[in-house]
Amino acid sequence: MAGARPLSTRWTLLLSLVVLLGCLVIPGVTVKHENFKTCSQSGFCKRNRALADDVSAKGPSWTSPYQLDPSSIEFKDGQLRGTILKAVSADEQVKLPVVVSFLESGVARVVVDEEKRVNGDIELRHNSQARKERYNDLEKWVLVGGLELSKSATLRPETEEGFTRVLYGPDNKFEAVIRHSPFSADFKRDGQTHVQFNHQGYLNMEHWRQKVEREGDSEEQSQEDEARWWDESFGGNTDSKPRGPESVGLDITFPGYSHVFGIPEHADSLNLKETRGGEGNHNEPYRLYNADVFEYELNSPMTLYGAIPFMQAHRKDSTVGVFWLNAAETWIDIVKQTSSANPLALGVGSQTDTQSHWFSESGQLDVFVFLGPSPQEISKTYGELTGYTQLPQQFAIAYHQCRWNYVTDEDVKEVDRNFDKYQIPYDIIWLDIEYTDDRKYFTWDPLTFPDPISMEQQLDESERKLVVIIDPHIKNQDKYSISAEMTSKDLATKNKDGEIYDGWCWPGSSHWIDCFNPEAIKWWVGLFKYDKFKGTLANVFIWNDMNEPSVFNGPETTMPKDNLHHGNWEHRDIHNVHGMTLVNATYDALLERKKGELRRPFILTRSYYSGAQRMSAMWTGDNQATWEHLGASLPMVLNNGISGFPFAGADVGGFFGNPSKELLTRWYQTGIWYPFFRAHAHIDTRRREPYLIAEPHRSIISQAIRLRYQLLPVWYTAFHEASVNGTPIVRPQYYVHPADEAGFAIDDQLYLGSTGLLAKPVVSEEATTVDIYLADDEKYYDYFDYTVYQGAGQKHTVPAPMEKVPLLMQGGHVIPRKDRPRRSSGLMKWDPYTLVVVLDKNGQADGSLYVDDGETFDYERGAYIHRRFTFQGSTLVSEDIGTKGPKTAEYLKAMAGVRVERVVVVDPPKEWQGKTSVTVIEDGASAASKASMEYHSQADGKAPYAVVKNPNVGIGKKWLIEF
Amino acid sequence: MILPQGSLFFAGIAACSTVAAAAGDASSRPRGVAPEFAKFYKDPDTFTCISHPAIQIPLSAVNDDYCDCPDGSDEPGTSACAHLSRNSALTPAERPGNDDLELVAALPGFYCKNKGHKPSYVPFQRVNDGICDYELCCDGSDEWARVGGTKCADKCKEIGKEWRKKEEQKQKSMTAALKKKKELLDEASRQRKEVEDNIQRLEGEIQAQELKVKDLQVELEEVEKQEQSKVVKGKTAGKLGVLAGLAKSRVEELRSALVDVRKERDDTRARVKELEGILSTFKVEYNPNFNDEGVKRAVRGWEDYAVRGTLEGAENGAQDRDLDEIAKPDDEKSGINWEQWENEDEGCDSSIVYQLAAYFPPAFVDFVEDKVVLAKGFLEDNGILSKAAESATTESKLVSEARDSVKAAEKSLKDLQSQLKNHRSDLDTDYGVASIFRALKGVCITKDAGEYTYEHCFMDQTKQIPKKGGSSSRMGKFVGIGSVSVDVLNEAGDVVPEDRVSLDYANGQSCWNGPARSTTVILECGEENTILKVAEDEKCVYSMRVTSPAVCASGEEGPAAPKGKDEL
Repeated sequence: MAGARPLSTRWTLLLSLVVLLGCLVIPGVTVKHENFKTCSQSGFCKRNRALADDVSAKGPSWTSPYQLDPSSIEFKDGQLRGTILKAVSADEQVKLPVVVSFLESGVARVVVDEEKRVNGDIELRHNSQARKERYNDLEKWVLVGGLELSKSATLRPETEEGFTRVLYGPDNKFEAVIRHSPFSADFKRDGQTHVQFNHQGYLNMEHWRQKVEREGDSEEQSQEDEARWWDESFGGNTDSKPRGPESVGLDITFPGYSHVFGIPEHADSLNLKETRGGEGNHNEPYRLYNADVFEYELNSPMTLYGAIPFMQAHRKDSTVGVFWLNAAETWIDIVKQTSSANPLALGVGSQTDTQSHWFSESGQLDVFVFLGPSPQEISKTYGELTGYTQLPQQFAIAYHQCRWNYVTDEDVKEVDRNFDKYQIPYDIIWLDIEYTDDRKYFTWDPLTFPDPISMEQQLDESERKLVVIIDPHIKNQDKYSISAEMTSKDLATKNKDGEIYDGWCWPGSSHWIDCFNPEAIKWWVGLFKYDKFKGTLANVFIWNDMNEPSVFNGPETTMPKDNLHHGNWEHRDIHNVHGMTLVNATYDALLERKKGELRRPFILTRSYYSGAQRMSAMWTGDNQATWEHLGASLPMVLNNGISGFPFAGADVGGFFGNPSKELLTRWYQTGIWYPFFRAHAHIDTRRREPYLIAEPHRSIISQAIRLRYQLLPVWYTAFHEASVNGTPIVRPQYYVHPADEAGFAIDDQLYLGSTGLLAKPVVSEEATTVDIYLADDEKYYDYFDYTVYQGAGQKHTVPAPMEKVPLLMQGGHVIPRKDRPRRSSGLMKWDPYTLVVVLDKNGQADGSLYVDDGETFDYERGAYIHRRFTFQGSTLVSEDIGTKGPKTAEYLKAMAGVRVERVVVVDPPKEWQGKTSVTVIEDGASAASKASMEYHSQADGKAPYAVVKNPNVGIGKKWLIEF
Repeated sequence: MILPQGSLFFAGIAACSTVAAAAGDASSRPRGVAPEFAKFYKDPDTFTCISHPAIQIPLSAVNDDYCDCPDGSDEPGTSACAHLSRNSALTPAERPGNDDLELVAALPGFYCKNKGHKPSYVPFQRVNDGICDYELCCDGSDEWARVGGTKCADKCKEIGKEWRKKEEQKQKSMTAALKKKKELLDEASRQRKEVEDNIQRLEGEIQAQELKVKDLQVELEEVEKQEQSKVVKGKTAGKLGVLAGLAKSRVEELRSALVDVRKERDDTRARVKELEGILSTFKVEYNPNFNDEGVKRAVRGWEDYAVRGTLEGAENGAQDRDLDEIAKPDDEKSGINWEQWENEDEGCDSSIVYQLAAYFPPAFVDFVEDKVVLAKGFLEDNGILSKAAESATTESKLVSEARDSVKAAEKSLKDLQSQLKNHRSDLDTDYGVASIFRALKGVCITKDAGEYTYEHCFMDQTKQIPKKGGSSSRMGKFVGIGSVSVDVLNEAGDVVPEDRVSLDYANGQSCWNGPARSTTVILECGEENTILKVAEDEKCVYSMRVTSPAVCASGEEGPAAPKGKDEL
C-alpha cells in the first residue's frame, strides 16, 4: 500500500481543491443545509434506518417481534379487528390494537395504535399538558368520504393455519393475506401480490416507556442507544419530547414494480429515486416535514413546503398505491431490488421490486392500500377519500400577474392600464406583504395604498381581480386590534408551557392563529367580511403564505415540535397538516363575505397536505431564475397532479434573480402549461411585466399568454374532470400510456387533460428543436401548421425556434377553443367557440366541453353545459352529457346566444376536396341549413384541413353537422 | 355583471349584424366603418378585402361576425378579426385567405361616431365584450350586440361637454405654456449673454493681470539679488552640527509620528477585528428566510473576503518587534548617538563663496554671482551641494514682501482664469435646444408619493425625502440631457415609440443592497414644472415623469435662439 501513498496525497489535494472551489461557489446560491436535519440528525429517522440496516444484516435469522394474536381476530361488516403483540422482552408484550377496514371503493385501510397510550396509561415528562394518545384526529382534516365499509368483503374460510384471508374489492377480486406471526400483510389483485406490508420486517411501533435515569457509569449497559429518545437538540433549539420515543415505521414492498411516483413536495424527478446511495441515487430518504426552505436545491429528497404522503407504483398496465395518513415528520426510503433472471425457468425474466420504508415521528400507523389497476382508478379512489380539486372560478385558471411588490395603488392601476395598452390579457394582479400597514394583515399602508377601493374598482371594470396576501403570523402589538382580539379570545398557538407562543416572522415578534380551534376558525371567518377587512371588494381573493408555518427563529425555520395546539395536541403530531388548516379557515371565510353572496373561493397556499386540493391552488415556492429551475418545474407540477393536487404551478420567470429575455420567454411558454399560471418576482429583481420586454420577445410572450386564453375552454373542462374524478389536469406520459414502459420515466412533456394536446416546453438555452416522444402509433399534428408526426416508441424532432411553443395534437380528439383575444377571461364569456376536430387513423374523433358561470355554485344545481362532441363517419354530433337540475334551463337560456363560429377538421378525407358546404341540423330548428366549407390541401408533410364557416349552432344545443 | 334579461337581447349576433350591414344608418356605411374607409364598402354585391383585392366576398359576409379577409376589413363592426395581430399565434384555420399573406389589419379599429363628442376608434378586441368603453366610445355603439344584457347608453352629450371643457382648459394651458416657454427662452438667452459678457470681461482682466504678475516677478528678482549681495553671516554651528540638529528633530518627529500611526493602526486593527467578529457571527447566525438579497450579498462578500485572509493571519510579530526597537528614544546604545554628531565642526564650509563676494567690485560680483548661482543651482539640483539653509538665514522683509505680492497677483490671475474656464465650460454645456434649461437650472419641484416626497432640482439633483422621518437620499446628480423612447398609443390603439427629452441624474447615494441611485427624468410638455409620477424601475433606478413648458413644441425661434429642429 505504500506505493499508493503519493498518489492518494495528490488525490487528496485535488479533492480538497475541488471541495474548496465548491465551497467558494456554492454559498449563496443553494439552501443552507445546516438549517435542516439530515436523517442522522433526526433521532427517530436514524433509529428506523438503523433497524432496517440491522434487519438486513441479520437476514433470515431475524424475526420481527410483532405477531397478531389469533384469538383476538374478529371480522365483522368489512372490518377485521385484532391485537398485535409486540415482544419487548422475554416476559413483556406490548398490545397494539389493529383495525383493517375494507372499503366499498376497493381500498383497504390498516390502522395500528398502542393500547397504553389509547387508554392514557402513560406518564408525560416535564409536567407536559400534551395529550397522551397517539394523534387520532387527522382524518377530520383530511378525509371527506370514501370510508363506507364494504358489504361484500368476506373472510376466506379455507385458510391455512397462521393466516387470515379476506376477499374484497370489485367482484371480490382483491385479497388481503394477513400472516399472524410475524405479522405481515400481502394485498393481491387477481391472485397476484401487488403490495406487501412488513415483508422486510421493518415494522416498528415505538411503545411508551418510562425514562430510566441511569447512574453515570452504570454497569448495566442499555440494550439500545437511548441517545435521542428524550430531549433532542438541533441548531440551538431543544425539543422536550414529553412522550419520549413514539415513532411508527413500516416497510411497503411493490413486487414487480420498478417505478414509484408521488410523495410531493420535492424538487426531483417524477420517477422517484433510490435513497440508500449509489450512482444516481440519493443518500437521504425523501423527507416530508413542511418547511420554508430558502433557495432550495434541485434533484434533492429534501423536504419542501408541502406534503402528500401518497405513493403510486407503476408497471406495465398496472398501477397501485399507498397513502400514509400521518401528519408528523415523515421520511421515506426507497430501494429497488432486481432479481436476476433464472435461465432455467423459461419465460421468467428478471424482476424489480420496489421496497419503500416509511417512518413518522409520532401518531398512529394508518395506511391505505389502492390496487388500481389503472392510474385513473387510483386518482378516483384517492379523491373519494381526500376530496377532489375544487372547481375553481374561471379567472383562477387564467394569467396571474404578481410581484413582490406592486408598491402603490397607483402602481397597480398603471400596470393594469399597461396590459390593455399592449393588448396582453391578464386576469389577476397580486399584492405581496408590502401593501399592509407595517405587516399587519387586514390593514392597508396608509401612504402607499390610500385608496384600495378605487384600485379594485378599476380592475373590476375589465372583470379583473386582486389577490392579497394574508399569513398566519399576527404581529404581536397591543395596538393592533387583530392581535389584541386573538389574545383576548385565546385563539393563538401555545408553547409547551401553555403560554402564547411568540416567534419571529415578517412583522417581527408574532403570534400564530391556531386554526385547529373551531373558535379560531369562526373568528378568522369574521375577519374577511367586507365591513371588517376594510378596503376589499368582491373581486379580492387571498394568498396564504408562510403557513408551514415559517418561523424565522424556530427550529428548521418552523415551530417547536412541543408547541401545543387546540385540544393539547403537540405541534409534532399535526405539523404537516398545519398549513392546510389555515387554508380551511380562509376557505370558509371566502365562501360568503356578505350575506347571500356565495362564491367559489380562490386561495393560493404554499404549504399543503392531502386534501388541500379541495380548497386551494399551490405553487412551488421560491424558485430561481435559472434554466435548471425552469426544467424542474415540470416534474414538480406533474407529480403534484398525479398526487391529487393538480392545481399547481411554479413562479413564471423565477422568483430570485433576473431572467434573461430568452429565459423569461421560454418560461412563459412553459408556464402556460401549469394549471396555476402566475408570474412572480422577488423585490430586488428588475421589473419584468411582459409588456416591458423588448420586441420581439414581447410579442412572443403575448402569443403564449393568448394561447393559454384560447385554450381556456379546454383547461376549464380539464378542471371539471379533476373536480369529479381526480384526474390530473396536466398528465405525464405513464398516466396516458400506462402500457408503454419506455415512457414511464418521462417527465418533461405533458398531456393537457383528455384533449390529446401534447406539449413539450423548451427548458434549455438556445434550443431550436425539441424531441417529443410518442408512445402510440396515432398521428400527431403540429398545433400551428398541422405537420404530421407518427411512429410509436420514438422521439420525433419538432422545430422550436424562439417564437414557437412545441405542441402536438393527438389524432382522435375534438378541441374546443375561443379564438378571440380579450382583456380578461371574464370578457370572453359570450364569445363563440371554434371546434378543432383532429381525426385519428380511423377518421374518428371525440372530445368534451364543460361550461358554467365560472363564479358561483349554481353548477351544483344544474347551471352548466356539458357536451360531448363525436365525429364518426362523416358526422359531427354534439350531445348532452350533463345532468339536469333546477337551474339548467335558466342557464341554457342565458347562454343561448353563444355559438360555434368555426369547425376545423384536421386531416379530412381527400374526398372532401370538392365539397363547399355542409348540412347543419340543430335541435329545435324547423329545417336543416347549409354552412359553407373550404378544403385546404397542404404540402411538405402538413395535413390538409377543412374549415366550416359559421355553422351557427348553439354551444348548449344538440346538433349535428353532416359533412 | 350578468343580467338575466340579457338573453332576450341575445337573439343572435349574426342575425343582427346582417341587418346592420344591409340597412346600416343614413350614410349606409356598415357598422364600425369610418368615413375615410366608406369608399371600400360601396359595391352593393361584393366586398373586396382592402389590402388584398384578390379576395372578394359577398357583401353579406361583411360584418357577419366571421373573419374572411386576411386584413380583417370584412369585419369593421365585430370582434371576429381581432385575432389578426402579432400578439396572437395563429393556426392555418383562423388565418383567412392564403397562409403566406402578412396579416396586418387594414382598419384602425371599430369606429365610434360619438355624436356630440369627437369620433374615435375602439380596438376590435373590445367590441361586444360586455364592457361599455366610454373612454373611447361614448355613444356605447361598441356594445351593439348587448351580450349578456349589456346596455351602453349614449353618454356623448355629457362626456363631450366635459371633454370640451377640459380641451378648452388644455388649450389655455398650452397657450400659457408656450408663453412660459418664451419667457424661459428669453431668460436663457439673457443668461447666456451674461456669460458671454463675463467671458469677454474676464479675458481682458486676465491679460492685464498677466502683465502685472510679470512685472512683480521682475521686481522680486531685483530685490533678491540686492539682498543676497549683502553679507549676512550670523554665528552658527558647523554645518554638520546643524544637519545633525535638524536630522535629530526630524527623526524625533518621525518617531513620534510612527508611534502615533502605530497606535492608530492598532486601534483600527481592533476595530477590524471587532467587525470581522460581527461578520463571522453574522454569517453563522443570519436567517436565510428573510429572503434579503442584500444580506446574502453581504455574506458572500464576507466569505470572499475571508478567503483572502482575515486579520488573524495578518499580524506580523517580527515587524512589530522592529517597530518597538525603532520607537525607543536614541542614546549611545541604540539608534543614533546624536551627541557625537552635534558637536562635530566642519573643516570646509560651502558658504565660503558667499563670504568671498564681499571683497570684489560690484560688477564683478554680479557676474560671479550669476555664474555661481547657476553653478550652485546645478550642484544643488544634482544633490552634490547641500542647499543653503534658508531657515538658517532669515529672509529680509523686502524680499518677502515682493514675494507675497507676486503670490497675490498670481492667485488673482488663477482665480480669473478659473472663472473664465467655468464660464467657457458653462457655455459649452448642453442646456438643450436654445439653452432653454439654463433658465431652469436649480429650480426645484417636489411630489408626494407613497412613503416619500420626491424632489427634482433641474440640472442639479434628484432627492427622496422619507415622510416617516429619517434622512433624505440623493437619487442622482445631474449628468446630462438625453432622450428616451416612450411607448404611446396612436389613434388606432397601437403602441408606437415616441422620443422624449430626458434629464439624467446618476451617482446618487448607494443603496444598501443595490447600486448607486440614479434617476431619469422624462419630460413632457406642460404649463407648470410638475412631477407627475415617480417609479422605481428596478432596485434604486428611478424614473420621473415631469412636465415643463421647456419641452413644448415650437417657440425656439425667439431672439438669439439658434434656429433648427429640436434635436430630439
